[in-house]
Amino acid sequence: MEIKQISYAYDRTKQTLHSISGWIARGKITTIIGPNGSGKSTLLSIMSKNATPDSGQVILDGKSLQAYRAKELARKLAVVHQHNVAPSDLTVEKLVGYGRIPHRERFASGSEEDQQAIEWALACTNLLGKRSKTLDALSGGERQRVWIAMALAQKTPFLFLDEPTTYLDMYYQYEILELIRRINREHGMTVVMVLHDINQAIRYSDRIIAMKDGRVVIQGEPEQVITRETLLDIYGMETIVRTDPEAGLYIVPVGLGHVR
Amino acid sequence: MKRKQIISLIAVILLLILAFIVSAITGSLRVTPLELISGLLFGDHEQVEIIKDLRFPRIIIAIFAGAALSVSGLLLQAVMRNPLADPGIIGVSAGASFMSLLMATLLPTLYFFTPLFAFLGGALGFFLVYALSWRGGLNPLRMVLIGIAIHSVFSGLAQALGMQGSSLISSLTQMNSTLSMKTWSEAETLVICGSIGLVLALLVSRWCNYLALEDKTARNLGLNVNLMRFVISMIAVLLAAVATSVAGVFAFVGLLVPHIGRLLVGSDHRILTPFSILAGAALILIADTVGRALMPPHEIPASIIMAVIGGPVLIILLRKSERIYGN
Repeated sequence: MEIKQISYAYDRTKQTLHSISGWIARGKITTIIGPNGSGKSTLLSIMSKNATPDSGQVILDGKSLQAYRAKELARKLAVVHQHNVAPSDLTVEKLVGYGRIPHRERFASGSEEDQQAIEWALACTNLLGKRSKTLDALSGGERQRVWIAMALAQKTPFLFLDEPTTYLDMYYQYEILELIRRINREHGMTVVMVLHDINQAIRYSDRIIAMKDGRVVIQGEPEQVITRETLLDIYGMETIVRTDPEAGLYIVPVGLGHVR
Repeated sequence: MKRKQIISLIAVILLLILAFIVSAITGSLRVTPLELISGLLFGDHEQVEIIKDLRFPRIIIAIFAGAALSVSGLLLQAVMRNPLADPGIIGVSAGASFMSLLMATLLPTLYFFTPLFAFLGGALGFFLVYALSWRGGLNPLRMVLIGIAIHSVFSGLAQALGMQGSSLISSLTQMNSTLSMKTWSEAETLVICGSIGLVLALLVSRWCNYLALEDKTARNLGLNVNLMRFVISMIAVLLAAVATSVAGVFAFVGLLVPHIGRLLVGSDHRILTPFSILAGAALILIADTVGRALMPPHEIPASIIMAVIGGPVLIILLRKSERIYGN
């Protein structure tokens, strides 16, 4: 997937994205980081066709996103959004089954292939035992896994996640991240996500795109991107960046660098 | 289907049948339930024949108006993702009623097209509410407040037209406030247009389920959210308009029935829609029968009975929804 000079203004007075270019490596995990309002979620929604750029385009498999029909795109690219709403009496299996909509003809009912995809998605997210539970009977971490399972049931080569660990405690955060890594490693899915935690981004990404004020500051492998200078520049934070023989690269914030 | 859903559906079917029988035998002309049933089956009972002519159009209108209005409310709630949407409250019915009155005043010869004008008026009311409450999203509270404002403007205009005194109009407004004096031809219009709307509503019940997701989520599943919204809204407006043009403005049916339905059969529209059709029909038929039976020979219009029941229920709903939508 290629991003070509995307510009976007949320309203006329303020430009949110300034001529962003980059690419998403196939079969890898790419994480977008940056402070609040830096445009990372906006970039993700343009890359998933939830917003239309004012200029520039996103190319997926040699074709501009704008040229895709909605169903066609939904067979290539699945998105797990940050805020999700569904009726609380919906069962896990039914919601995961919604992931098969893009593969279904209008008004047709489920096929063998649909059922297999649903089983696979439930198994990947460790939800087979919860399939007939309703959503209101689940914990926060389980509910997030259901939304990921719905996206997996779409059987797409691309998976996008907007801040998948927000609202979860540490255990569930890492459970989700491990799950994402497993899906990527075992099934070769290309993953693009937005994260707030730099150490999580380092540990779970192959590439990182760092953004500030609607521009890409730097993109590349975690070791190239995460430096004291970059973090001071984009977050205005003073940090210690170290490499530990066991933990690998990690950062510790030590204070405010300058007034934002 | 779960057991609770099956029991609820059977219960509401029985309630509707019971309401039908009671309604048919209630009034100055009395027969026993047995006489009614045998008269209907064999057509050999003189009084049952009279009842068929006089009471049946009214019963059928009550049934279809109730079904149409409650499903209209259900669809609007799905489209606006707001449990408080109801055609009789947010200006759809009032718009329909105003437009059909206006056209009856200006172009009385086009009386035949009344349902069409009602549809246009209802669509206008709906569009105004939707457009005026849209601010990057629909806030349920703002939508209801704007809906009430639109409703009062349209019903005020309709009343002003009624005051203006042409005999046709005043008879129209008067008739619209009750279900009495209904003829077979009016029942026919409602049955035909209403059935079309109800069948369409059943066909789009899956779409209604999908609209319960966030727009972004639905869009990334390859669904055309705007198209689904538009089609479902138009079906809702059709149902409300045709019910209004024949039976008048009823508030709260579209609010009450889907809410009770959600408690009993859950939020799946594939069951909730048929339930609302049956329960809405039963509710208006009961309201109309009660209104006829309370102090004969005078009648209390079914819409007034509904307003008296619906008011307190709206208060309960609003108090509950403060917890859900509080901000």
